[in-house]
This record gives sequence, C-alpha cells and structure tokens, in this order.
Amino acid sequence: MTAPPERVRVNGSPVDLAGMPDSERLLDTLRWRVGLKGTKEGCRTGDCGACTVLVDGQSTLSCLTLTREVQGSDVTTIDAAATDAELRRVVRAFAAAGALQCGYCTPGFVVALAGLLKERGTGAPLEELLDGLQGNLCRCTGYAAIARGVALAREGPA
Amino acid sequence: MSVAVRPDLDIKLAGGAEYGADLDVPGMLWAALVPSPIAHGRLRSVNLAAARARPGVVAVGPDDVAGLLPRGEGDPDRPIFPTKEVWYRNQPLAVVAAPTLAEARRAVAAVTFDLEELPALVDLETVFPEWPGSDAERSPHVIAHVHARHGDVDDAFRTADRVVEETYRTASIHHVALEPHACLATVEGGRWHVRTTTQTPFGIREDLSLLLGVPEASVVVEGTWVGGGFGGKGACLLEPYALLLARAAGRPVRLALDYRQEFELGRTTLPAVIRLATAVKGGRIVGRRVRLLLDIGSSLPGRDFATGYSIGFLLGPYRTPTFDVEGYGIRTNKPPFGPHRAPFAPQCAFAAESHLEEVARAVGQDPVRFRAEHVWKEGETTPLGQRVLPFGLATALERAGALAARWRSVAPEGHGVGVGVGFWSTSTGAGGEVRLVLTPTELRIVQGEREIGSGSVLRGLVAVAERALRLPAERIRVEYGNTAEAPFDSGVFGSRTVGALGRAIVAAADTLRATLAQRTGATPAEVALGVDGGEIVVVTPTGRRPLRSLLTAGDADGGVTASGRHFADSNKIDERRVVTGSFYPYTDFTGAAHVAEVSVDRETGAVRVERYAAFQDVGVVVDPATARAQVEGAVAMGLGTALTEEAVWSDDGRLLNPHLLDYRIPTLGEVPLPEVTFIEGFSGAGPFGAKGLGEPPIIPVPATVAAAVRDAVGAHVTELPLSAERVARALKLL
Repeated sequence: MTAPPERVRVNGSPVDLAGMPDSERLLDTLRWRVGLKGTKEGCRTGDCGACTVLVDGQSTLSCLTLTREVQGSDVTTIDAAATDAELRRVVRAFAAAGALQCGYCTPGFVVALAGLLKERGTGAPLEELLDGLQGNLCRCTGYAAIARGVALAREGPA
Repeated sequence: MSVAVRPDLDIKLAGGAEYGADLDVPGMLWAALVPSPIAHGRLRSVNLAAARARPGVVAVGPDDVAGLLPRGEGDPDRPIFPTKEVWYRNQPLAVVAAPTLAEARRAVAAVTFDLEELPALVDLETVFPEWPGSDAERSPHVIAHVHARHGDVDDAFRTADRVVEETYRTASIHHVALEPHACLATVEGGRWHVRTTTQTPFGIREDLSLLLGVPEASVVVEGTWVGGGFGGKGACLLEPYALLLARAAGRPVRLALDYRQEFELGRTTLPAVIRLATAVKGGRIVGRRVRLLLDIGSSLPGRDFATGYSIGFLLGPYRTPTFDVEGYGIRTNKPPFGPHRAPFAPQCAFAAESHLEEVARAVGQDPVRFRAEHVWKEGETTPLGQRVLPFGLATALERAGALAARWRSVAPEGHGVGVGVGFWSTSTGAGGEVRLVLTPTELRIVQGEREIGSGSVLRGLVAVAERALRLPAERIRVEYGNTAEAPFDSGVFGSRTVGALGRAIVAAADTLRATLAQRTGATPAEVALGVDGGEIVVVTPTGRRPLRSLLTAGDADGGVTASGRHFADSNKIDERRVVTGSFYPYTDFTGAAHVAEVSVDRETGAVRVERYAAFQDVGVVVDPATARAQVEGAVAMGLGTALTEEAVWSDDGRLLNPHLLDYRIPTLGEVPLPEVTFIEGFSGAGPFGAKGLGEPPIIPVPATVAAAVRDAVGAHVTELPLSAERVARALKLL
C-alpha cells in the first residue's frame, strides 16, 4: 500500500499538508492553515458540535479529528454552502425558519443536517433527523426554530 | 407591520460572520494566561525570566503594570494581576504571547511563582455554619449587607394562624455561550484599539481607561459578532491583557479562552442559601421574613450588585403587609459573581414560588388561586414602597391556571402539572443615544450596540423605527460604529435594548419629522414617509416630494439627521423601609406565568418535561418572531437551570466539571416546543409601551418545573437543580 498523499481537498480545492505537525486537528487546519473561519471552534472536546464538517460526505467533529487521519479525503465545510446541494437545501430551510440567534452553533447544525440528508435522504423520518442532531448544542433558540428548520429542509425544494 | 426577517440570517448561515474567536491579522501573536494553581494564597513574586528567554515570547506580569494602574493593587474584581493575594484558582497572574499558541502555552509552563498557599474558603455554609447573627457584618467574609423592613412583622408572626418556615439552596451555573471570550488588540501611536466579542463596548472602554490609566479618548473598542452573551460578555475580561501585550510586543495580539477556561474564569451566578418564613392569617399572607446568604465569590466590597438587586424577588410580586428581608453577600475563593440572564432571579423565584406553594398547601388553598389573591395590582404599593405600574401578571396567571387545570384533567398517570411565576423590570435607566440618518434611499440607525443574538438590535430597533416612521423594514438599516464613531450607549443587558434605544429612536423620529415639517411647510403630525420607485418621499397634505429635493447643503452624512436620547424616569423606593444597603427600583413591571407538565421516573428520579407553556406580559409585541424566539430560548435555558446545570467546586476551590460533558445543558431532544402566549395591553417603559423580553421568560422556569415535579410524585425538592439524584432523595429512593 502506498501512503496517502499529503493533502486533503477542502470544498474542492487541494490543500498541501507537507510539514504540518502530526498533532494538528482538522479544525485548526481549516481555520488557521486554510483560513476558512466558517467552521466554529466551541468546546474542542467533541461535546458541542459547532465544528462539524463533512469528511467524504460523513458528518465529522473536526475538533477531534487529526488532519493526518483524513489525508486524501474530501472535506466539505459551511463555506461551500453555495455549491453543495444538501448544504444549500438546509441553508434555505433554516433561513425560512429563522433558525438561529447568535449564529455560532449554526454552521455545525447546517453541516450536520446536510450530512444526515446525504446519508438518509429527505424521506428520512423527522424524528430520526432530529435525533441525529442531539450532538449539536444551541444555547439561544431552545431548538424550537431549529426543529422547524429541520422540518422545512425535508419538505422544501433542493 | 410587515413580517420582516432578521437581516443577519444570510451572513450567519453562510459561515461569514466574523466572531471574536475568528479574528486574525498578519503578524499577530497568540496570547495565553498564566493561571494561579491555587485558590487562595500570598503572592510574593512572579518570575517571568524563563518564559521571556524563549524565542519570540513576550510576557507581562504584576511588576510591569504597577505604574499603569490607578489602584496600584491587584483587584480581584478586575482582570489585572494580583500583587499580594491570590483570590481564586486560575486567577491570571501574568500573561504571555508568542508566534503560535503552542509556544505561548510552553511559555506559560515556564513561569514560576513564589506563592504561599492559604486556606481556601469555598463553601458558603462553612463561613456561617450557624445562621449569621447580629455581628455578621463584622465578619471579614461579609462583603455586602442589605436589610429592609416594614410594619410590625414580629406581631404578624406572633398572631398568625399558621407560620411556614423553609430553607432553599441554589447552585452555581454557567452561561455556556458557545463562543468563548476572545479579542484582538493593537496599540499604535498611543491609541489602544481592541476588537472584542462584547455586550458593552462603551463599558469596556470605561474599564480600560481606568485600568490602563489612559484617557477614554485614546481607547477604541470595536465589537465583533457575538456568539452568545447571556450577561457573560458584559464586562472587561481579556481586553487589558491583550492590550498590554500588544504594547509590549509592538504587534497585534490575539487572546482567546479555551472552553475549559470559559467555565473556570466566567463571572456568573454562584450558590446561595435562602430562608423564607411566611405568616398567614385568615387565608392571607400577613408577614414574610427572608434571609439570604449569597456567594459573591471574590467580588470586592462596594462592588457587589447582586445581593440588594435580587432580594426583592424573594418577596415575590405579592401583597406582603409586613416583612423583614436581610441579605449577606459572602466573599469566597471563586471568581467574582457576575450577571447571568436575569441575575439570580430564577433562583429567587424557585425559592419564593416553591415556598408559596408550600404555604398554600399548609392552609388548604389551591396554590394558583392563593397566588392570584395576592398578586400586585396597578396602583398598589410594592413591599419596598414603589407604586405598581401596569402589570399583566394577574391575567397571565389566570390563563396559566386555566391551562394547567386542562392539562391536569387529561394528564396520564405519573405525570404532574405545575404553575410558576416570575417578575422583572426593563432596565432602561442606563442611558443610550441614537442618530437617525434619512437619505434619499434608506434610513440608517447609527448606534453603539452589537447584535448578540436575540435580534434586539438588528431586528428590534428596525421594527421600532418601522413603526415610528411608517417606513418599510427593507429601507431601514442598523449601523454600528466603534466607540470613537457611534453615539454612547450603555450596552446590551437588562432587557433594555428595545426599551431604551427604542425610546431614543422614537425621540429621534419626532425630531426628524419636525425637521421635515419645517422644510415642507406642514405640521409634524402631517408628515409621513413613503417609497416611490426606490426613492424615499415625504408625504404631506400638499403632495409627495422626493426626500432628495428637500436636502440642504448643511445635511451631514448625505441625509436629514436627528438624534434621540433616552434615560428612564425613576420610580423611587420608599427609603424609610430600607435599614441598610441599596435595593433595585423597578422601572416597569413585567410578569410571567408558566405551566409545565412533567413525568418523573419513579426508580431513578429523572424528570422529563413533556409539555410547556409560557404566558408573558410584554406591554406590546414589537416584532412577533423575535419576541417568540426570546421566550423559546429562555425556556430551554431555564430548563437547564431547573434540571441539570450545576457547577461543582472542590473544597480547595477547583471547578470539578469545567466541560460540557459533565455540565449538562439541554439538548434538542430534551426541550419541548413551548406554547407561547403574549399578554398585551399593560404598558411598560419601552417604545409604544413595550417591555423588555430578554430576561423575563427565564425567571419562572425552575419554579414551574419544581411545582410540576411535586404534583407528579409529591417530591418537595428545595434545592436546584432538580437532578435525578435530588428527586430520588426526596422520594426516599436513596
């Protein structure tokens, strides 16, 4: 087996990882190496979900992921909201539901829900989608508007 | 009124909003705080030599700032270094910066201290194992003492039919704003510039001026997007350290807390012990005694706001002919007490409402009816002698009681339904000013607050202007300037934004209309605004004129400008009832009554909230969507206070659960969608009679849940939070 190439693709663009410390977290690579601040840093212990990104389409906590672990993968962040179909669907639904207040947890929720929709499709039961967001914390909304946004994301146009 | 959407949806959904933690400029250094390893000790020196010897490291410690500080002494209430005594664990003793965060952390590890550990005082109840006696104010641990009384309370208790006496305990909690504190500082040419995530840019400017010993004019504070405040971002925390480092390094410095430090350094609600005794005669309350011991952490004498501020809530919004209330603020080796959404009011309401429930049961009355018979009515006098202004609580309570009866009639076996009450006041007192600029195409609201999430700035102020000038929301834009550019405002706190800045907007709108009247030869009342083909027009009985045609050479900023200010009228308390200390005078009176239906696991004591409803007195709803969102969010936050949230401290002052795994806030599956009903028509201090809404809806939540738990399984829990363990103990399962 050959070693994976020393790069990841972030929202379609290759990022060279040569010389990167092995201990670097994907969250820090995205925010400080690539300069994409859309992915938010919350707890850094995997408890709040604010840093959620998609790795090869799978919802992933970037704070608990070493960048070396995902070498060769495709990473999708909130910054691709305009181009990724599921992200776009969720953004539209959250806007219609007014599903945010301070907005700090929002990128994590949007990406996590987009990941669930990629995996299970818009036909997935609402309860299942809501269950899938239990790992994302929000302190402002009481989740009420977010739940309305999730319902709209199932129903709305792509 | 149009149903406008929040103007910050798109930028936040695209990940484009730059928060404090996202700030990043080329060449900046990364800073880290040097924390005290002990909770209490004598500090002889801080040795930064080894840290400074590391490449690229800049360090600032007590020796470097003595000359800068007006007080000359480390002040535990202030975020500059102690010089003699360390007051809480993790108190910053120095601060370092380096080209990377990893290098800054290694430099922190290289700092050494000469520090002698002293016994730490952490648990409030070890200070006064017995309830404090008459000599309590002489205790070095008593930092605040407030006392008020009225009428012959001793006689009321002596001649009562029934006296009920109880003790309640409430926990230390955290804000858990998901964005940690963070700032970026630059010092250039004698100008101290800081970009920071804050609720109060002007307050930070004032603090920095004092701390750094420089004039306010040389300090510029620029707010960023704020990732949640809840009171936790209303005071200086990191800014002075970042500025001192930036000056020492001659480069920009970024300083951010990690989430563990958020827990360890946050200034928030600390534990309390509350004793309540109520005398009842002929089915009516005739006397109330209140004793409060409040942990105010390492707050300094004269710097405690909480004790006198909150103690009125322990009398409740109920007629109490005689009373004696006394509170002690106790200094402990924890960070200073700080504001947390309706500071300490949910805890007071939990104690006072649960106690009232007990009193009603003791005299054989229905708890809701008992409350209703005692609720203040407009024109009556509060225990502290203030006149009661329009107050919708009686209406809210009546509707909550009716709903609770309906829910109870269909509740399954094992479920319980409870009602709880809270009251509050819009803090419009601290002043604010806005400038309106009406250009040919839009109205700009120039002001000094940043949106912290509630929508009160970006949507609330627009809705006020929309209503005041009858201009569509899409033609109105809120503009923020830094403290050098924007008009003064005291900040986003105390549910005051729509109330205070809204009143300022209404005042400015009146001035604007008068100016336009003058230029069109109409009377101000005849002036209306409209939009024709993208251009703003001024409509008067003599016709429609493009605003553009009315501009004069003297119009600054490309439009007609008008300023407005608002400082609240005072509604004084009766000083004859005050023995000592200062008490909070209510500007207006906001009530809320909530209903919860819960199920309780009879084996574990775990509580699940099945249904929830809030009846909120609001004066007038200024914007329906953001108003409702405030109640939904406050209910969820309150459920955390009610059921799971508790900071646990060891005897040596270590916070034992400084992370979200062990400090549990509600998750998506644990919060029912609340039914929200607004009670309008009881006018408050804000524009058009609006009342503040950021804080009131959180206040009744713990009390409401406790009443429902009691209804479900008979467990009378007298401590917050109502964790499974506490409910199980009350059920004698443990």
